[in-house]
Amino acid sequence: MAHRSNEKNALGSRSEIILRNIMVISLIAFFTVFFVIPIIMALVGSFFQWNPLKLQFNFLGIENWKGVFTSELFWRSMGNTIVFAVAATVFRVILGLALSHALYSRLIRHKTLYRTFYYLPTITPMIAVAFVWKFIFDPQLGLLNKILNSDINWLFDDRYALIAILILTIWKDFGYAVVILLGGMYSLPKDCYEAAEIDGAGAWQRFWRLTLPLLKPTILFIVITSLISYFQTYIPVMVLTQGGPGTQTYLATYLIYDEAFVKYNFGYASALSFVLFLFIAVLTGISFKVSGKNNAS
Amino acid sequence: MKRKISMVILNAALLFFSITTTLPFIWMLCSSFKTNVEINSQAQNFFPQQLMLQNYTNVLTKFDFLQYFINSLIYALLITVITIYTSTLSGFVLSKYRFKGRQLLFTGILLTMMVPGVVTIIPRYSTMQLLGWIDTYKALIVPSSFTAFGIFMMRQACFSIPDEMLEAARIDGANEFYIFHRIIFPQLQNSIVSIAIFQFLWAWDDYLWPYLMIRTGEKSLLSVALNLFNGRYSTDYAGLFAATSIAILPVVVFYIVFQKRFIEGVSSSSLKG
Amino acid sequence: MKKIFSLVLAFTLMLSLAACSGAPASQPSSSAPATQESSSAPATQESSSAPAPSQELPSIGNVIQYNPNQPVNDGKDISIELWYWTGAANLFQSLADKYAAIHPNVTIKLVENPWEDYWTKLPLALQGKDGPAIFNVHNSQHDNLIGYMAPYDIPVADMEKEFVGATGHIIDGKIYYTDYGLMTATAYYNTKMWEAAGLTDKDIPKTWDQFREIAKKLTIRKDGKLVQAGFSYNGGIQGDVLGMNYQYGQNLFAADNKVSLNNEAMKNVIQRLKDMYAVDGVCEYNFGNNSGDNFGQGTVAMFLGWGFMTNVLKQNFPDTTFDCFEIPTPAESVPYAYHRYNGESTFGVNKNAPAEQQAIAQDIIRFFLANDAIQKEFCLANAVFPAKGTLKADADLLKVPSIAVLADHIDRYIWPGPMPSTVENNVKIMLEDIFYNKADITKALTNAETTINKDLANLKFTSQEPMYKYASEAKK
Repeated sequence: MAHRSNEKNALGSRSEIILRNIMVISLIAFFTVFFVIPIIMALVGSFFQWNPLKLQFNFLGIENWKGVFTSELFWRSMGNTIVFAVAATVFRVILGLALSHALYSRLIRHKTLYRTFYYLPTITPMIAVAFVWKFIFDPQLGLLNKILNSDINWLFDDRYALIAILILTIWKDFGYAVVILLGGMYSLPKDCYEAAEIDGAGAWQRFWRLTLPLLKPTILFIVITSLISYFQTYIPVMVLTQGGPGTQTYLATYLIYDEAFVKYNFGYASALSFVLFLFIAVLTGISFKVSGKNNAS
Repeated sequence: MKRKISMVILNAALLFFSITTTLPFIWMLCSSFKTNVEINSQAQNFFPQQLMLQNYTNVLTKFDFLQYFINSLIYALLITVITIYTSTLSGFVLSKYRFKGRQLLFTGILLTMMVPGVVTIIPRYSTMQLLGWIDTYKALIVPSSFTAFGIFMMRQACFSIPDEMLEAARIDGANEFYIFHRIIFPQLQNSIVSIAIFQFLWAWDDYLWPYLMIRTGEKSLLSVALNLFNGRYSTDYAGLFAATSIAILPVVVFYIVFQKRFIEGVSSSSLKG
Repeated sequence: MKKIFSLVLAFTLMLSLAACSGAPASQPSSSAPATQESSSAPATQESSSAPAPSQELPSIGNVIQYNPNQPVNDGKDISIELWYWTGAANLFQSLADKYAAIHPNVTIKLVENPWEDYWTKLPLALQGKDGPAIFNVHNSQHDNLIGYMAPYDIPVADMEKEFVGATGHIIDGKIYYTDYGLMTATAYYNTKMWEAAGLTDKDIPKTWDQFREIAKKLTIRKDGKLVQAGFSYNGGIQGDVLGMNYQYGQNLFAADNKVSLNNEAMKNVIQRLKDMYAVDGVCEYNFGNNSGDNFGQGTVAMFLGWGFMTNVLKQNFPDTTFDCFEIPTPAESVPYAYHRYNGESTFGVNKNAPAEQQAIAQDIIRFFLANDAIQKEFCLANAVFPAKGTLKADADLLKVPSIAVLADHIDRYIWPGPMPSTVENNVKIMLEDIFYNKADITKALTNAETTINKDLANLKFTSQEPMYKYASEAKK
């Protein structure tokens, strides 16, 4: 890619300057108004007893923050969220790899049909499918127990409730991974494979030594976007369990949403959201470090 | 022989997952034709005893479904068109123009992708209150008019447009706006389709912000309105399933018809990542 | 690019065609989620021609009187909004129509919101200048609403004379809203299953021990698997647990208005519930997740439900025949209180609304309270016991099972006050912990107490237990 040799082009046209200024100003304005300022407001608000329904805004000092770190519910939700996010991401990637590889393999007909089916849950709104699944999880009347011939009380058994939410999430999202990985596989250099086959490498070896490393950037993309997205899961919790039984399936964003828009403790909710923010930032940082190492190797 | 066995196993596995994904939808569709009594009864029949078309007519007349559908459609289309435009323009400026602070600005925008929605939602809510934008579509569209993801993708895509093309046009006397509209835009079709799909689906699905912002029933979006079947004391599953079936239908049809483009768009988006 | 544009075009075309054929959807008379216009002007010009304009309409009401001949807003046209939550839209339409029949110059615009949305949108709307002048109230949201309410301009003494429980709603000598109907927990039983088990009316249990025996008789197992539960409380019994303590003379709130859960009474109540499953075997935690629904579905013989379940069951499960009996007590003697009641509240007046609108709101409320027919309609719709004295012995109301059971002992039901939603919400979580997560009862009670009291510290809740007629009988 050729770059211009001068930093500032003496012939920089007026329209370029205009366009550039318009865009830069719009971008700065937008992200300041809708991100920077809200983040500051949230930080400030976290030091207050803030209830907009009662027009209440009293200074509390670090009470909210103390509350957050001493709250058993908070730590449980963070724990649940990490477990959930990691599990959902792992399954999504594994299922995605397995199925896309199966579809890519020359043995399969009807690729397009399968692809269509797998991606179907992804394009439907979560709120709609959550209600359907709520019924599917019913211990007496639901499809799941009828098929498995069991009577597990999915949404009320503390051993299974979080798993139920995982099942819904994985079911909904694995198709996305399949589609993306399949696209990735199609763009892999075929000659490497032919060479490997000639050299006598088996199917599994080809997959492990060639496909996987070549797909690393795609897999990383899925992992990072999945983690960020799953850390913010709350609709399944809201529809299926409301955090129950008891508080076993509280996820971070659900807790924050509950504090903010059911109890209207905006100050406390802001403190909670900041801690979540830090978690995600750290997580993203680690992912990039890891990917940086991989790229270097 | 080995080939045949592995083929059978593979096909079985693929079939299994196909059934897993479609079964809930088929069940929902069947249930949408049942009465609430039937849905809730002990004797669970997969297929309805009688076709209750009334669920659907109820949804269309009493539930004012068409209004919500159109609201969501307009919202989703507006968001899609606006974000495509802003993302492409931003991507273009951030990739092809050199100016001080360019990298800083881009990194800043990128960092916002990490900010969880919950952090900004409360202050944004208060801001909308102050501005008096509650219960308007302005409140829904303006905060989503720029998307970091889209900007990121477009900037990537713009890098692959050779500078020589632009310089040639400039020498020919074209101004930047012309260059953008006539040269850049058409070149980025694939990425535009990707962003369009993502944004449309996201807007169609969006629940929390529209729920908080829109108050008047007739301005509600479909995703929020579906929750209306959840009454104070019980859930009207029959109506909900009928409404959901209709709500999903256009997206499904759109997807099936434009499948190839759809999937190409989705899969190409990650490669540039 | 072209493909997308053509698609958008196709869609829009499709929609416009559908919109034309789906005309009914856009008619203003369509009910449910859309906003409704109860514009009375054209309609009543026909109906008001029946009584000739010069004819005096009779005064309505008993203690609280309403004079329908008095014009409002000097006869000038005025429009106000009435906000309500989803359910019984016809009820509010009926009220609006009746009022508009007398005052054709008033247009009442009915605005509906789903239950959960309502409690967010209403306070926010009331902060501004164009919020609804009159709105539906539920006392669990008292704290978020009271700041926006204007007091009724009906004399407090009149309200106290005519409406049970009005006394408990007096704040600084004024009443901002009260209850038009009282609801409590009653036992529902399936009459067919009752007969099948060989039981008769004589077997209706008065004590918990008798109840447990009956429940055992109503439980059926086939090949070791439960097929009919004698009594189920799955899916949330917090509304009933909060109240069974009174049967032991134990108040819910202490003198400092803090909640008291970690006490003998509560432990007895919860232990008994646990025993009914574990010892008596009348149901299992995995058997159905909503006792009310399961009752309707025909897998549960008895459950504890509040008054509203009467209409829910009739609507969703018309094939299930049922009746009610009063909640059992620990002993045969009359308890401190059988249970608590909660009221379905009357409307609130928006103090931020323009003065003329508030005046209309106040007038509507007077009309609403004075009008026996409307009071009866509302009580029937919600299956609540009428707070208005003149309806106490009404035959139609007493036909409703959940209302009939209350008639004899209504003064032995206590109102704790506008209990904030945090109490019920946290007790629900606590009970799930105890029943599903096998938590220790004492620990769970203490936890819930601490959590609730933390929330209460931010609210101005005052318990009405001291105002109870038999307050002196409470455990110290």
